[in-house]
Amino acid sequence: MTNRQRLWRIFGPVIVACLLVVVVLAIPWHSHHSQRTLQKAAVSISPTVFKNRSIKVQAMSDHKVKYVPFFGSSELNRMDRFHPSVMAARYHNYRPFLFGARGTQSLPQLFNMNMMQAQMKNKKAVFIISPQWFVKQGVLPDAFKYYNGTYANLLWLKQANPKSKYDRYTAKRLVKLLGDNGSVGSYSQKIAAGKPLSKWDRHWINFKLGILRNEDNLFSGLAINSNYQRRIQPRIHQLPKFYNYADLQASASRDARRQTTNNNFHVLNRFYNSRIRQAKGLRNSQKHFSYLRSPEYGDLEVVLNQMAKTHTNVIFMITPVNAWWEKYTGLSMPMYYHTADKIKYQLRSQGFNNILDYSHRGDEPGFMQDTIHIGWKGWVDFDHSVAPFIEHKQPQPHYHMDSAFLSKKWRNLKPTKKNLQNFQQTELNH
Amino acid sequence: MVNWISSLPNMSAYGTPTYFIYLLIAILPLGIGLYFGKRFSWYEALISLVFLFLMFDGSNTTQMLSLIVYVIYQTCLVMWYYHYRQQKNASGVFYLLVFLSLLPIIIVKFTPAMVGHNSLLGFLGISYLTFRAAGTIIETRDGAVKELNWWKFIRFMVFMPTITSGPIDRYRRFSKDYRQVPSREKYLQLVEKGIKYLFIGFLYKFIIDYFFAQRWLPFAERMALSQGHHLSWWVVAVAYLYSCDLYFDFAGYSLFAVAISYFMGVETPMNFNLPFLSKNIKEFWNRWHMSLSFWFRDYIFMRFVFTATKKHWFKNRNVLSSVAYMINMITMGFWHGVTWYYILYGCLHGLALVVDDAWLRYKRKNLKGLKSTALTQNVARFITFNFVVFSFLIFSGFLNTLFFGGH
Repeated sequence: MTNRQRLWRIFGPVIVACLLVVVVLAIPWHSHHSQRTLQKAAVSISPTVFKNRSIKVQAMSDHKVKYVPFFGSSELNRMDRFHPSVMAARYHNYRPFLFGARGTQSLPQLFNMNMMQAQMKNKKAVFIISPQWFVKQGVLPDAFKYYNGTYANLLWLKQANPKSKYDRYTAKRLVKLLGDNGSVGSYSQKIAAGKPLSKWDRHWINFKLGILRNEDNLFSGLAINSNYQRRIQPRIHQLPKFYNYADLQASASRDARRQTTNNNFHVLNRFYNSRIRQAKGLRNSQKHFSYLRSPEYGDLEVVLNQMAKTHTNVIFMITPVNAWWEKYTGLSMPMYYHTADKIKYQLRSQGFNNILDYSHRGDEPGFMQDTIHIGWKGWVDFDHSVAPFIEHKQPQPHYHMDSAFLSKKWRNLKPTKKNLQNFQQTELNH
Repeated sequence: MVNWISSLPNMSAYGTPTYFIYLLIAILPLGIGLYFGKRFSWYEALISLVFLFLMFDGSNTTQMLSLIVYVIYQTCLVMWYYHYRQQKNASGVFYLLVFLSLLPIIIVKFTPAMVGHNSLLGFLGISYLTFRAAGTIIETRDGAVKELNWWKFIRFMVFMPTITSGPIDRYRRFSKDYRQVPSREKYLQLVEKGIKYLFIGFLYKFIIDYFFAQRWLPFAERMALSQGHHLSWWVVAVAYLYSCDLYFDFAGYSLFAVAISYFMGVETPMNFNLPFLSKNIKEFWNRWHMSLSFWFRDYIFMRFVFTATKKHWFKNRNVLSSVAYMINMITMGFWHGVTWYYILYGCLHGLALVVDDAWLRYKRKNLKGLKSTALTQNVARFITFNFVVFSFLIFSGFLNTLFFGGH
């Protein structure tokens, strides 16, 4: 064997393999997902769907089926037969596209929304806020990383405006959560410092985005979980054929009574068995919890700003806590109500007026499925308010954003009446 | 300046596929040189430096300083001892030098147990550098190291492909590779093997281990913890998944290190040889993390056996080897870190080696009729594998988290 043959035998396969990879990643694969894929993705609540773009963009711009984004967190995973996805399949002319699972707080949602900016323009959306997000350290870096990827970050950085206070705030948070390593870290640092990205930076971003887009088109439709077949589809026919609010409430109550028999917390039996029965040290464990001061208020503000930018007409829901459970764990209810007040204040003073405040409803049996998640009657009630909002024409909202809500002062403000008034007079522009 | 360094990108060794692109492009000129029979030492030093720098810059700047100080310290020790050894050979001096060489790692390993946080002296890979330095001192005493040159020694210590996690080479072997350029035939063989190892490494580390480390193990751990602070079937799942994760992660990493060494014309020893197929625990240690266990075998086990035999410490040969096994494995436990689970892990493996020896003696005496068949071999494999998995469960520290909620 000559040397040349030898070299070819060693390197040939490697060269061919590398070329194939480059070709596969460089071909601008046409992205088309089937209706079936969209339907499955809409209830998959998977990080893959959340972090990528092609599926949600196609769903949001679908002409046949009206997909409406439902942003939220772990409650979206409480899929009983009154879950919004089941209710919509039975009674309504739209399909919820669920965005969020345990750990998706405001900031991951911002990057999620930014990826489908054009598709959200002048549309409607639902946004579920959990006061439990508003802990002292805000979203945890690990949770953030789990629901966020380079693709979303670069798409955001590409359109980030270093002159905007909102974008500088977001960039700062990115550096804080992801560290300053790598290209995302260094670009975020530039934006945070108010400096524009260089031409070279932009070329690099575009190059990376090209590859990531191809990967998204190729792979993100594969292996979507079977939530739809397992947890949504079988339940559709468990609902009566014709919508009757009172009947639904009654059957929701009945379901709840039947499934909360082994505990005094009005919590789903299965949940009680797996999460509470064996656990120790829960009594009075939440005595010192406070959701009043948190970077999450600033994170929420950038999300609001994003929806104002896209003129999205959004309805909010603020989640309750299970009253029996909170008595046991010692969580302060006044603190909880104040948190809801602070959130509502931030929403209302900027023109976000569609708010379902459930924070006081955690003491209705059957309203909640477990300790902090609504279910049964809660879902029926939720659907009863949300569906008309989506199905009927609504007046165009007028949002007037105020960056004072990004400030440290707001994030750390105790929302007493006096403090709020004071804040309005000294900080807000109107 | 520190500020400027911490703003540079950080690239941990073999962390992402992109790392390989940069690394392979960087060593390509080196490969071309070796193909034509030339070793570009200055270029090799340069890229080694660049990639070492990238491993320790960013937020790891203090580690970089520790590494530099550490290498200077060890080089001084080794060079001084080499010169001393040319004239004299006092045992006291030798033991003192070995102790001084081990001192940094002793401090680093004991600090967390004593003070509760990591020592500032530490850096990624300190254990592996310690083996190289201490091994060189021992071989110098034996007279096995015939020449020692400070530059070559530093190159040996910080040989880029193997710096953070081995395999652990020996100075004698390394410097021999280094003195001569492999023939073209030989070099092509190395490259061919290197490419094969590289791709097996990719399969292990980036594909198979992805499932163990990112998907299955975290899931099983979460489930086990959600059952409460006691044993459950999920803990059994954790044990098996952790063992597979450990193997594919570490074997993949070692394959990368070996492959890149080959490309650079250095025949770094292999580290793994299908360890889970071992038929007994002794065989396991000849197949698992080989460069480490051979180091312990040569420098702890054998030395102890020689000394003990020479000084007649034990009457019974079996007692001698049992004590040697225990010392050997407990030291290895301590080397991993001063926590109850590493030390228990060492004890368990020491005991297993003792039991294995005893079983062989018993079999030779009482079970002469027992033939080695496919069945007995597979039973042996099964027992060995399950013992190893059990010991890795302890090694993983997961039980510490499970029982005591700590780290």
